[in-house]
Amino acid sequence: MARVLVVDDAAFMRKVLSDALVSGGHEVVGEAGDGEAAIAAYRDLQPELVTLDITMPEKDGLATLRELIELDPAARVVICSALGQETKVLDAIKAGAKDFVVKPFERERLLGAVAKALGQAAVQAG
Amino acid sequence: MSPLDPAVTTEALMRLGASTAEAVAKALDAICSAPVERGDVTVVPGDETPFDAFPFADAPAVAISVHYVDGVTGGNVLLMTTRGARAIAAAMGGSDGADDAPPTELELSAVAEAANQMFAAAASATGVVLGQDVEIAPPDTQLLDSAAAAVEAFDATPHAVSTSFRACGEDCCLVQLVPNAFVVRMTRALGEQGSEQVSGDAGLSALGIARRMGPGEERALDEALRDIRVRVWAELGRTRVSLGAAPQLPPGAVLELDRKADDPVDLYVNGLRFASGRLVLTDEGEWALRLEEVAGRTQSTEVV
Repeated sequence: MARVLVVDDAAFMRKVLSDALVSGGHEVVGEAGDGEAAIAAYRDLQPELVTLDITMPEKDGLATLRELIELDPAARVVICSALGQETKVLDAIKAGAKDFVVKPFERERLLGAVAKALGQAAVQAG
Repeated sequence: MSPLDPAVTTEALMRLGASTAEAVAKALDAICSAPVERGDVTVVPGDETPFDAFPFADAPAVAISVHYVDGVTGGNVLLMTTRGARAIAAAMGGSDGADDAPPTELELSAVAEAANQMFAAAASATGVVLGQDVEIAPPDTQLLDSAAAAVEAFDATPHAVSTSFRACGEDCCLVQLVPNAFVVRMTRALGEQGSEQVSGDAGLSALGIARRMGPGEERALDEALRDIRVRVWAELGRTRVSLGAAPQLPPGAVLELDRKADDPVDLYVNGLRFASGRLVLTDEGEWALRLEEVAGRTQSTEVV
């Protein structure tokens, strides 16, 4: 089970993500509503995994992801996208995201992506 | 500036409206338990305000809007009753207020997220028609008490399309605010669907933008488009993989493209195949494209 930082500009999505993660046995150590807050929270909280929305005001998910990876190349990030954002999802995967979910998503799909991201990181670390 | 051909403009607006309304209807269907009823797509006459179709009542309407940030200029507004917004929020799992209370912040966030997903799907549908990616900004939520307040809240555009829905038992209305440049792009894209190869004379009309219009209208289009910055890219070839399979591809995997090594490379301008040529290497070590054919004409130009 992992310590997770949830990043989404929509309070509703932060709640949905947090509820799903907690129900899956994870600990949500923090929430952030924009990219700058996400970077600051990542520094402070050092989570094991980040769920990251793509569409956010000011600093969007891709820019935030690139900064997170620069800050911590081993950062485990799962992208939350909407339908029609396939190009951005691929950019995010290329930039270092471990997996993605497309909204609206099933709880199991999110937990699967999180498990996969954590598993991938463990294999790489070992 | 000469006006665009009204028939061409209407066709472009109707196609835009239909594809967006379809995406919104599908998303509403997925959210609401009751069937969603969709009204006709209507091009709003120039002397009417686009928000007249929504039945503003005593309680303020909830308006969720997004604007495009790249590729297409314009915006979408989804108007719904307070009860409708709360019903959608409840269907999304984000209802935490009393039945007769105004929507809570969480409920508005849930509705905005629903609209965000609808408009992302709609932008994708529009992108398919335009042949280019269409990106949307995060949604903005407002409470509006009249059509006049809605007119005040959103920048006016020369064109608008509206579609009415009944979703979760409540009225809602999709309004698309469309500037001239968007109609031009849509017209061009629709024209392009009828012909893979663009043709034309000089300037912007060489991009196939004004194929169906008269000379005066072409000049108007040239003026409308002259300051628009366009993306230009070269394409080596294409293939398809599923989005699920793409992230699984290991480094070292080889994807075969649909072009042979000695085939010319295509040049695209904002999603429209515009020219073809050969890859060359500049003295500075950068890739460049030596154009061999431009919009049906043969010439030699290097694009770095």
